[in-house]
Amino acid sequence: MATRLASLLLALPLLAACQPTRSGQSLIVATKSRIDSLDPVQASRIGVMQVLSGLGDPLYAIDGNGRLEPRLATALPVLSGDGRRARIPLRQGVLFHDGTRFDAAAMAFSLRRFMAIGTLGYQLSERVESVQVIAPYEIELVLKRPFTPLPRLLSAIVLTPVSPTAYQRHRDKPLNDRFVGTGPYALAFFGGQQQRLTPWPRYWGRRPANAGIDLVTLSNSTALFGALRSGEVDLLLNSGLEIDHQQALHRDAAAGRLREAIGPAQGIALVSLLSDQPPLNRTVLRQAVARSLDRATIVRRVTLGLRSPQRQLIPPDLLGSDPSAWPPYDPAGARVLYRQAGYCQGKVLTLPLTYRSDIPTDRLFALTWQAQLRRDLGDCVTLEVTGMEATTAYSQLDKGALTMLFYDWVGDYPDAENFLMPLLSCSKAEGDRCLKGNSVQGGSFWTAPGLEAELQRSSQVDGSDRTALLVAIQRRVAAANPYLPVWLSAQAAWGGLGVSQPRFDGSGRVMLGELRRLPAASGARRP
Amino acid sequence: MSRRSDLARYLASRLALAPLMLWLIASLVFLLLRVAPGDPIDALLGTRAPEAARAALRAQLGLDRPLSEQYGRFLGHLLQGDLGQSLTNGEPVTRLIQDSLPASLELGVVALLLAAMVGLAVGFSGIGRPEGRLDLAGRLYGIGTYALPPFWAAMVVQLVFAVWLGWLPVGGRFPATLMPPQGTGFYLLDSLRAGDWQQLGGSLRHLVLPAATLGLLLSGIFTNALRLNLRRALGSDYVEAARSRGLSERRVVLHHALPNALLPVLTITGITVASLIGGALLIEVTFSWPGIAFRLQEAIAQRDYPLVQGIVVVVAALVVLVSVLVDLVVALLDPRIRF
Repeated sequence: MATRLASLLLALPLLAACQPTRSGQSLIVATKSRIDSLDPVQASRIGVMQVLSGLGDPLYAIDGNGRLEPRLATALPVLSGDGRRARIPLRQGVLFHDGTRFDAAAMAFSLRRFMAIGTLGYQLSERVESVQVIAPYEIELVLKRPFTPLPRLLSAIVLTPVSPTAYQRHRDKPLNDRFVGTGPYALAFFGGQQQRLTPWPRYWGRRPANAGIDLVTLSNSTALFGALRSGEVDLLLNSGLEIDHQQALHRDAAAGRLREAIGPAQGIALVSLLSDQPPLNRTVLRQAVARSLDRATIVRRVTLGLRSPQRQLIPPDLLGSDPSAWPPYDPAGARVLYRQAGYCQGKVLTLPLTYRSDIPTDRLFALTWQAQLRRDLGDCVTLEVTGMEATTAYSQLDKGALTMLFYDWVGDYPDAENFLMPLLSCSKAEGDRCLKGNSVQGGSFWTAPGLEAELQRSSQVDGSDRTALLVAIQRRVAAANPYLPVWLSAQAAWGGLGVSQPRFDGSGRVMLGELRRLPAASGARRP
Repeated sequence: MSRRSDLARYLASRLALAPLMLWLIASLVFLLLRVAPGDPIDALLGTRAPEAARAALRAQLGLDRPLSEQYGRFLGHLLQGDLGQSLTNGEPVTRLIQDSLPASLELGVVALLLAAMVGLAVGFSGIGRPEGRLDLAGRLYGIGTYALPPFWAAMVVQLVFAVWLGWLPVGGRFPATLMPPQGTGFYLLDSLRAGDWQQLGGSLRHLVLPAATLGLLLSGIFTNALRLNLRRALGSDYVEAARSRGLSERRVVLHHALPNALLPVLTITGITVASLIGGALLIEVTFSWPGIAFRLQEAIAQRDYPLVQGIVVVVAALVVLVSVLVDLVVALLDPRIRF
C-alpha cells in the first residue's frame, strides 16, 4: 500500500514535467471575474472591461496622467452654440477585425445598439437623444441637455465600436462568444474560464509588445495568489483578491520580488445613512456619526494600509475634488453633538449597520468600527451589525429598510459627475426628503432644495465654474452627511519579474499591449 | 407474479413518477427563487442605474410580467425541452449546462474511480487480522477522510502541490496556453479521440489535484462500508459452512464473503454518483473547476432564475435516472431483493 502511495506521489512530478510550453511571448493574465460575454452591451464587470480594453478602442482615452486623448475620434467634440449638439470627427483607415472599414455608420450602429440593448445603456440614453451620421467620418450626438463631461463619458470602453457586418444578426441581441472590434488584439478563443487575444496585424495604432494574452479566470483569492506565486500566471489583477493576499503581494513587490502597479482611484467605500426615518432623520445625529469614524484606524486595521482614508465622494484626481469636505475624526466634537441630540447621559443611541456578508472586508469594517465606537464613544452610541448578501442588501436599500449600509461605488468613467449624480440625484422630492431618484437607490433618501438643479448645472458648465460648483455641492452634502465616505480604492496588478512593469491607463485598465516578457529575468519569477 | 415482472412494474412506476417529481421540484425552485429577496436587476446593476433604466431592463428580461404568466411560460417551455435563456448573458440555458455538466461528470467519475480503488483497497487490507494495526489504520483512514472539511483539505492540497512544490496547476480545467479539445466536453475523452497527447497531458495535469482530493475524501465511505460489510459477511453462517467444507481462506473471502459485502457498497456508490452529478461545490470552487455546482452557485448569486431552474431540473432528472439504474443493477445482482 505504502509503495503504491509512494509511486503515486512520484508520478506527480513526472506529470508536472508534462507542462505545455508557453506559446512564444504570450502572457498569462489572471483575474477572478468570470467572463460570460464579450459583447459591450452586456459588459458591467471590471474583468470584462479589462478584456474589452485590449479588443476594442474607445472614441477617447484617458492616459495615465488623467489627460483626455482622442483614439477613434481625431479631436474633441465640437459643441453647437446651445451645447446640445456634439460633432465628433472620426479616424480614417481603421479596420475591424473582420476586415471591414470603421466609419461613422459603424460608430453610429454601435452607439445606437448600446443605447437600445446595453445593460449600462442608460448611461448614454439618459444624455443622448440621437446619434446622426453627418459625413462618412463624422457623427453628431444630439444631447438631451448640455453635458460637458461628454468626452469622458465617451471614454467608457463599453462604447467601443463593433463591426456592423459581424453584428448584423445581433443588432438587437447580444453576441457573447465573439468580438469584432478595432482594438490592438483580436479574439482568438473564447471560453467562460479562458480567453485568448492575439495581436491584430492590421491594427491602425501601436502594435502590442507581446505575442498575445491568455486570460484565465480563477475562482478564489487563494488560487489567484498561488498562481502568481508559483509562476503559473504572469500577471494578476486585484479584483477578487482578499486583502491579506494583496498585502502579501504588496510586500513582495516592495522587496523587489514582484512588480506592482496601482491604477487610478475609482472606487469609494461609503456608508449610506437613511435620512428620512428616525433616528438618522436628525441632521445633528448624522453630523455626529460623521465625526465618529476613525478612518485612519479603520484603514490600517481593515485594509492593512492598502487603501487611503477618504473624506469626500469624488476621487482626489478628478475635477471638483475637495479632500477635506467631510469632517475628520473628532470624538469630542461627536460627543457634543450626541449630547445635543439627547444621548450620552445614560442613553445610548443604537444604530443598525448592515454590511455585505459576501465581501470579507465589509464584515471586518463593521466589526472594527463597532469596536472603535465602543472604545471611544461607548456611552453615546453603539453599532448593531448585521451581515446581508449583497444582492439582498441592494434590493432592501431603496425600500428604506437599512438604516446604514456599508458598500462601495465604482465610477463607470472618471468624472465627478459619475460619482455625485448616481448617489445624489433626485427627480421627486418633498423638502429634504427624496421620494424618487438615485438618492433613493443609494439608500440615503436625502436631497436639499435646489441641489438637483446644482447637480444638473455642474455637468453643463466647465472649467473653474464647474470646479467651484462641485466643491460647493460636496460641502453642502457633507454638512448633511447622507453618505459617509470611508476609503478610496484603486485597481492594482502584480506581475512576476519576468514581465515588464505593468501600467494602468486613466480609466483603470492595465495596458495589456505594453506588457512583454523579459528574457533575462525568466528564472526569477518565483517569489 | 414472477420477480422479473415485479421489477418491471417497479421500474415503470418509478419512471412514471419522475415527471411529477420534476414538476414539483421545478415549481418549488421557481417559487423559492421569486420569494428570495433581491432580483437579477439588483445582481446586475447593484445600486447603479436610475429607476427608469432598472424598469426598462426588468421589462427587457420579462421580469415585469405577473408571476403566474412567468410560471406558465416557464412550464410551457419546459414541456418542449426549452430551459429558457440566461438572464446574465442571454445564452440558452441548455448550452450553459452542456458546457458545465461534462466538467462535473468528468471530475466525478475520475474521483469516484479513485475513491473506490483506494477506499476498497484500504478497507480490504485489514481483513486478514481484525483489530490488527492495518485494520486500525484503515478504520482511522475511513473516519479521518470522511471527517475532513473538503474546502480545508482542498486548500492544503492546492498549497502544497501547486503553490509550494509547483508540480501541478493551482486551478482551472485546461492550460491557458492551449486550445481546449472540441467534442463532447469531456476533455480526457476528446483529447484521446483527437490523439492529441499535449491536450491529454494538459487535461490530466489539471484534473489530478481536484480528482485526487475529492477521491480521497470520498474513499473513506468505501473503506468503512467494505470493512463493516466484509466483517459481517465473514461472521455469517454461509461463510462458516464454506470454511467447514475445507475451502481455503482466500477462496472463502474472495468468492463467498466479498461479493456479498460489495452489494451494499454498490448502493453507496449509486448514492455517491447521484450526489456527484450535482457537482462537488467546494472542490469546484477551490480548484476553479468550471463544473455545474460552481455554475449553479454563480447563478444563484446573480439571481439568474432560468439558469438555476434549468440546472436543478436537469440534475434532478439525472439523479432520478441514476437511482433507478442503481436499483435495477442491485436487483439484478441480488436475487433476495423483493419489490
